[in-house]
Amino acid sequence: MSLLAVSNLTKHYRRGGKTVIAVDDVSFHIEPGETLALAGPSGSGKSTIARLVLRLIEPDAGAIEFEDNDFLALGGAALRARRARLQTVFQDPLAAFNPRATVAHVLDDPLRIHGIASRSERPHRIAALLERVGLAADLAPRAIHEISGGQRQRVAIARAIATKPSLIVLDEAVSALDVSVRGQILDLLLDLQRQERIAYLFISHDLGVVRAVSHRVILLDAGRIAESGDARAVIDAPQSAIGKALVAAAPRLKRTTQDAS
Amino acid sequence: MSPLRRFLRTPEAVAGAILLAALIAMALIAPLLFPGDPQAIAGPALLPPFQDWSLPLGTDRLGRDVLAELFHGARTSLAVGLAAAAAALAIGAVVGTLAGFAGGLVDEVLMRITDAFQTVPSFLLALAFVSVVGPSLGIVVAAIALGTWTGPARVARAEVLSIRERDYVASARAIGMHPLEIAFREVLPNALPPVLAMSSVIVAAAILTEAALSFLGLGDPNRVTWGGMIAEGRAVLRTAPFLSIVPGIALVLTVLGVYLAGEGVVETTAVRRSLS
Repeated sequence: MSLLAVSNLTKHYRRGGKTVIAVDDVSFHIEPGETLALAGPSGSGKSTIARLVLRLIEPDAGAIEFEDNDFLALGGAALRARRARLQTVFQDPLAAFNPRATVAHVLDDPLRIHGIASRSERPHRIAALLERVGLAADLAPRAIHEISGGQRQRVAIARAIATKPSLIVLDEAVSALDVSVRGQILDLLLDLQRQERIAYLFISHDLGVVRAVSHRVILLDAGRIAESGDARAVIDAPQSAIGKALVAAAPRLKRTTQDAS
Repeated sequence: MSPLRRFLRTPEAVAGAILLAALIAMALIAPLLFPGDPQAIAGPALLPPFQDWSLPLGTDRLGRDVLAELFHGARTSLAVGLAAAAAALAIGAVVGTLAGFAGGLVDEVLMRITDAFQTVPSFLLALAFVSVVGPSLGIVVAAIALGTWTGPARVARAEVLSIRERDYVASARAIGMHPLEIAFREVLPNALPPVLAMSSVIVAAAILTEAALSFLGLGDPNRVTWGGMIAEGRAVLRTAPFLSIVPGIALVLTVLGVYLAGEGVVETTAVRRSLS
């Protein structure tokens, strides 16, 4: 069985009397330890799918099965408990934290909510989490707004892995970082995947990054799946119109193809 | 520049802070300077100010020391003003947060209740409440808070509506935090600054409302209040106007001090926020 199986997912928005279809009959699955990328232009429904999978918004139609359970049937305490297995890292590492929080506070929340460690154990667990994502343990008492963007995204990853999830939704998780930091964060994510067998739903508009880290890719256009398959195969030889347009728009990739020819 | 230095560079804020400090000092040293009951008879009735230096501001119709009453009245004004404002801000922040965060039916019900309170003039509400329940310090505080929590509730709701769409609220949901914990630990503290900015106006209004209630004889009868002193002096307004004027000036200076100091604090913190 797949880790996550999404079938016929649909989401409409009503805006000013008009209905906008954000996600239209989308189906996909993710296996344990696999990275599936969702790529597409702005407004193609990538982030809506991320929010639907995380149950931050509710779909109009479709089914989501996570770890062989009907994820949409869960509610209240059962849903909150299950959220430990399905974590997320958002794009903007500053907006993703309470502006008043400290690093320790951010990492304390998931450990406390899911009863993973007792009050006296938690400082040690927080230090271990910080070290796991390549940060110094003495960063814990610092305020979130005092540390750098790269450090913040590492803290966001530490928060996501605190509950030992099987799937992490990475919603443009490296897009806001500068290029040198981006590489380090991607290395950290790949390393975590190898060691903990975490699957990623990797949402990005950057096909270069998608090609480097994903096993499979789904290209979205206006809420529909335009093309899907092995990440390298799809990006090296896109079949759909939107795939060709996206590859043509990625300057780094174009140069590689010119060099090759 | 530090917020304190910026605060000290604003002359209105400094004037307000000095007035407020004087009021707090009066309230604090009242029992030391004037031990015993301020409502006890201290000398001949209707002694004008600056005649007898043991009674510098003279005496009222019953021969009570006006200066002692003034100092003890500062305690009441300050206590009622701060307690009523704190209660109004607390109720408003909680109602506004619940309404804005829960949305839907909860929001609808809470905001219609807020509308209902807002359509009744707050002074009439306080008047009716105290006349029914009976005058005591706690009841006066509750009565004033009852008429003033709606403003903070609306401001808190508006702020919460924008905060609940932020990523960190989504993050809190994604890690499985309970909705009530998200509302009160993640959202409410960040919605507070604009609500607290209203506190100076609310404290000033609460002090005035308390004085007005006392003036109408609905204050706590066991405590000296400035409003009560003005009401006392009204009977002899022609022959001894100082009895109304002295507490009247105290009231004006207090409200002015609270307002100016509060605005000063809001100004300096607002500048800091826009700079960062």
